[in-house]
Amino acid sequence: MSVATLASTPDELPSIPWLLAGLALLAVVIVTLAVRPQLFISNLVGGLVYGMILMMIALGLSLILGLLGVVNFAHGALFMLGAYGAYQTVALFELPFWLALVVVPIGVGLLGVLMEVTVLRRLYGEDPLIGLLATFGVALMLEEATRAQWGGTPLSFDPPAVLRASVQVGFLEIATTRLFTAAVGALVVGGLYVLMYRTDFGLSIRAGLQDQQMAEFLGIDIPKRFTIVFFIGAAIAGLSGVLRGAEVGMDLGMGMDFVILAFVVIVVGGLGSIFGSVVSALLIGVAVFVTPVMLRAATTVAGLEWLYVSGIGGLMPFLVMIGVLLVRPRGLFGEEGLLE
Amino acid sequence: MSDATEPTADGRDRLLASISRYQVPIGILLLVGLLRPVIAHDALLGSSYIASSMLIWMLFAAAFNLLYGYSGLLSFGHAIFLGTGIYGVAIGLRHFDLPYLVAAPIGVIVAGLIAYGIARLIVGYGEIYFAMLTLAFAEAIHFVVNADPFGLTGGADGLRSGTTPGWIESFRGQSVVQLGGGEFDLYYFVAIVFVLATLALWQIVRSPFGRTLVAIRDNEELARAMGISTARYQVWAFTLSGIFSAIAGTLLVIRNSGASLENFGMMTGAEVILMSIFGGMSYFFGPIAGAFSWFFAREYLTNLEMVAVPLLGTVDVGPILGYWRFFFGFLFVVVIVLSPREGLWGFVRSIADRVRRRLTEVIRE
Repeated sequence: MSVATLASTPDELPSIPWLLAGLALLAVVIVTLAVRPQLFISNLVGGLVYGMILMMIALGLSLILGLLGVVNFAHGALFMLGAYGAYQTVALFELPFWLALVVVPIGVGLLGVLMEVTVLRRLYGEDPLIGLLATFGVALMLEEATRAQWGGTPLSFDPPAVLRASVQVGFLEIATTRLFTAAVGALVVGGLYVLMYRTDFGLSIRAGLQDQQMAEFLGIDIPKRFTIVFFIGAAIAGLSGVLRGAEVGMDLGMGMDFVILAFVVIVVGGLGSIFGSVVSALLIGVAVFVTPVMLRAATTVAGLEWLYVSGIGGLMPFLVMIGVLLVRPRGLFGEEGLLE
Repeated sequence: MSDATEPTADGRDRLLASISRYQVPIGILLLVGLLRPVIAHDALLGSSYIASSMLIWMLFAAAFNLLYGYSGLLSFGHAIFLGTGIYGVAIGLRHFDLPYLVAAPIGVIVAGLIAYGIARLIVGYGEIYFAMLTLAFAEAIHFVVNADPFGLTGGADGLRSGTTPGWIESFRGQSVVQLGGGEFDLYYFVAIVFVLATLALWQIVRSPFGRTLVAIRDNEELARAMGISTARYQVWAFTLSGIFSAIAGTLLVIRNSGASLENFGMMTGAEVILMSIFGGMSYFFGPIAGAFSWFFAREYLTNLEMVAVPLLGTVDVGPILGYWRFFFGFLFVVVIVLSPREGLWGFVRSIADRVRRRLTEVIRE
């Protein structure tokens, strides 16, 4: 198995079909830039910001998956709770948004810890499917509790005035919420990288990832580390929920939608690779926003309007994933053998 | 036991042996015969309205369990196959004026082909990947159906008018089948298909094919080392499970008089998982019991308004029980944490075992 995979993915120059596909993509991009430059660029920015949100959720999910071996299905519900928590703070308590930005992620993180201690701790070392199902049950409970508390209709709140303005960059107008989301996302990735690769804490976690028993022999309190990691992952989900809620509002389906997308991001990027998750989240975010524009432009220019598929954007993550898995089963930057 | 019963013991043993051998078919027939009168009893639901929905979902859950319980592969995307069965009939009847008996097999075959294609693509990945990939495919197909390709699926509105076969007469929510002058309740039509389909599932489960699936589930490396082509068996398990789910779909379209987009939704696939695992996936009747308790809990709890609590008097529980999914989710988590493979049916069986043991002790004395 390992020999076959090694042999089948050598580092070689892109072959002719890949070159042609790349050239075709480039041609479509140029056509779109010529026909609809403004729309293309603004969708590109929108896609990158969307990708940032996806990336934050996926990082929390992949952190928990990598360390605890559990696909935390409730991660999307925690993200949703972040958005509803911000709504509660800003619209109902009438407290400043900046307070919500700090308090809500901590609250969501603590909820995550509660979940880890009461449910997941009993399931470590079991069949990973059991963990998936248990967190699925928790997600269902959280969703139903949210419905009981805030009702089933979509909600939104007014972010502070600074985030409602927009900035002129060149010929492009960018909403400040988008810039702010992108900045926070970049900070989260940077912080996570420093934490995992530049501190003793991160070192002990990576040790636990490689060989839990040995790490415990060396005196590292692994269960406590697990709980801390779970807190961090859940808090990041809550934070991205607050940002998403400020930008587009919230509804009950957002949790499930985003946890699925986040898993798609992880699969495409490759398990166990922070860098892979970042790249694939941005790639998928851009694909969702830019593909409809490009397809529209290309079909209009070529006179083949009937080829245009409405709603292709939402389909893109799954098409990208199916494509990547067919060509490169362990994802773009994945390590071999994780959870296979 | 006294010596006097000795001569007949052989015959009785044979009878007992054949009862225990055929307990699944006997159970299926008992279930179909008793379900309607039992839930219509005043102490339970007081109406047989949901009996046919229950049977259809029991079939769906049993089909799902062929995959998860017997081959260990978890699919979050079984809504695809139920939905294909439903939309196959709805599209065939509405757009192409096909008779039901032509449209339904087409829907089932298409579902089988989709299942085979998906399985061929993803069966080699690990269990978790497999589960999440089925989910991704379900989302993708949901998108396609929602986009209303060629005006076939009706998008978010679904398909309502013109999807009921001519021999179904609907009156105040009760559907009646009219065949050759006679007429009978839809329940009996559903029951016939249910019995045939579950018997077929049972035959699959106890065939060498089914035994091989169990072997793969329990130890994939060992099975492969014994020369079993594990991927091929898993592909066929997925395909068969999809086909039987689609059969449930072709019934559900009559029961719901039409197709709606939520048949393809994430929650449809999730509900069948909840039912099957809550019921107990290690047993043939587990998912069936799970589907029963799901529907029973929903109907019973949402109709319940006042509960007499000792010391507190009557409490209006209607508003809380409207969120009955929360409590079902809680029970589900409890089941998963305590004994993920046994479920409700395992619990019932262990109680029955204990009672039987006590009884035999009493009889011996």
